[in-house]
Amino acid sequence: MKIGIPRGLLYYYYYPLWRKFFETLGAQVLISKKTNKKIVDNGVKNTVDDACLPIKVYIGHVMDLKNQVDLIFVPKMMSIHKDEYICPKFCGLPEMVRSGIKDLPQMIDTTIDFHKSKKKLSKTVYEMGNYITKDRKKIDFAFEKALKEHESYKVQIKNGMLPIDLEDHKIFKNINLHRRKVKILLLGHPYNIYDAYLSMNIIEKLREHNMDVITQDSFDTKVMNEKAAIMDKKIFWSFGRKVIGAAFYAMEQKDIQGIIYLSSFGCGIDSVIADIIERRTRRNSDKPFILLTIDEHTGEAGINTRIEAFVDMIKWRGKNENNFSTYGKNLSTR
Amino acid sequence: MRKCYLGVDIGSVSTNIIVMDADEQILDTLYIRTQGKPIETIKKGLSQIKNRLDKDIEIYGVGTTGSGRQLGGIMIGADVIKNEITAHGIAALNFVPDVKTIIEIGGQDSKIILLRDGVLYDFAMNTVCAAGTGSFIDRQAERLDIPIEEFGKWALKSKSTVRIAGRCAVFAESDMIHKQQLGHNQEDIINGLCEALVRNYLNNLGKGKEIKSPVIFQGGVAANIGIKRAFEKILGYEVMVPPHANVMGAIGAALLAKEETAKAGESKFKGFEVADSNYTVKSFECEYCPNMCEVVEFRRDEKMVARWGDKCGRWSHDKTAKDEKLA
Repeated sequence: MKIGIPRGLLYYYYYPLWRKFFETLGAQVLISKKTNKKIVDNGVKNTVDDACLPIKVYIGHVMDLKNQVDLIFVPKMMSIHKDEYICPKFCGLPEMVRSGIKDLPQMIDTTIDFHKSKKKLSKTVYEMGNYITKDRKKIDFAFEKALKEHESYKVQIKNGMLPIDLEDHKIFKNINLHRRKVKILLLGHPYNIYDAYLSMNIIEKLREHNMDVITQDSFDTKVMNEKAAIMDKKIFWSFGRKVIGAAFYAMEQKDIQGIIYLSSFGCGIDSVIADIIERRTRRNSDKPFILLTIDEHTGEAGINTRIEAFVDMIKWRGKNENNFSTYGKNLSTR
Repeated sequence: MRKCYLGVDIGSVSTNIIVMDADEQILDTLYIRTQGKPIETIKKGLSQIKNRLDKDIEIYGVGTTGSGRQLGGIMIGADVIKNEITAHGIAALNFVPDVKTIIEIGGQDSKIILLRDGVLYDFAMNTVCAAGTGSFIDRQAERLDIPIEEFGKWALKSKSTVRIAGRCAVFAESDMIHKQQLGHNQEDIINGLCEALVRNYLNNLGKGKEIKSPVIFQGGVAANIGIKRAFEKILGYEVMVPPHANVMGAIGAALLAKEETAKAGESKFKGFEVADSNYTVKSFECEYCPNMCEVVEFRRDEKMVARWGDKCGRWSHDKTAKDEKLA
């Protein structure tokens, strides 16, 4: 049996878990290709116009898989933490896929909803596993192994690797990861920042400028939750809570020299969260902040100019701190 | 021989070239429309500048900036290829060393650059909409049948305020027509448009930013004194317009080139002959992966100079022409 996992949305957080689970159950797992022009084009063509780009891209990934697999994994992600939601569009994902794409293989569209509690976890796991086997012991065993895989993935990320590095097993590249002098915090939904095509390769671009890129996933969850709790009202979006916590934490860290927020055009959550972060960053710290918006366009000039100017700004500031101009003109301080 | 530096700003609407001597005096400036043909425009600009310059001038360094900076840089042989934010910041600092805010409004983009203690502190560029840019005023001037050069003078004549919506160019247009139908004076409407642009700029780019004096206003729109006055009215303090406001990006590029060549020792400038060369651009869709990148190949007199547009570097890193593959 062949199961397809679309390389989009929460894939970047959970693919080790999902893959290990299905593989241990004896299925063959196929992951869709990395996002490319064809996937984007297909997605845009077959999704409602109002959806955000990441959703459209996800649909494109499903299209990429549909003729190659027996089952396709499109979970209905309602909530992954107590009292929190993800994003309204995730709740209707299987329906959107179904109405947008013809001739689909069977979908594993299990509802994942831990809004009230995690009690339903084992029920959810059995429901997913039942597509392959009815043997509960086997499913328990597979889930245990998958969890271990997930934990070790999380540890690697907390150690400073990014999903983008682990995806290709580019371990060798990470050896120099922390030798770069300037640390930049890149915030945004995982499917925006870790998808090299959508993000216009922002992580590698920053690294080329000799910046060490960290994201909201690089920090300790406990610390982030504490920071996010400063808000008067609980942030009830899981992404939002994480990103806000990371931003608040980063504002106080001396070694983080800039914050970049990458958002896809039309994102409802970001419209609130990015604005809060921008205001707080300016109010509580003197760290440079920039909001970059991505959409379907392929022209990279706009984003390149902003990244270049942002990097210039950080370098210029850095030099100025320990280099005072001797003749009053500022030209020498660059 | 006089040592001089060339600054070239290849923007979406205009291409500006300036010549600066070693004492940072601006000898000549040129402002021409790009009209979507950057290569032709650069060639035209260079040959015009060459004919206008004294014979004893030698170019010691070149800097390019603007959205066409990579293309221009490859063509001319630039020592520095710099983004327009930094270039504008450098130029403004050279004009007013303690400048704190730079308002830059060009044809299709607008920027706000904040500087503190002579260091780039924060910036923003307009996002999806052109409502707060020169094209907006250009379009409305056309509609009112007033030459854009006189737009500002008309605005100054205004005695009473007419409020026009500035958030969106389309809304502004219908609002303006409505005000015309009501019988408002032409000059009041023009002034209303200037204020609409300023309001839109401040709400959009200036949002959450502390605009401190001294303020410099540059870019093509700075020539419009109606907008300058509208800024002063809303901000409440003086807004300075530097003498070469419309070519500040190019000045910044030249200043950076001067600094760069002082370090490097020599310039990569390919000479004014660039203007006489024949440049061809060929583009093709790469077929190696589903990304189908649109690769651009740039040739000078049939010799391949550069390629760009690919995501993976297959073409851009390979500097040898492979005609058989392109066919």
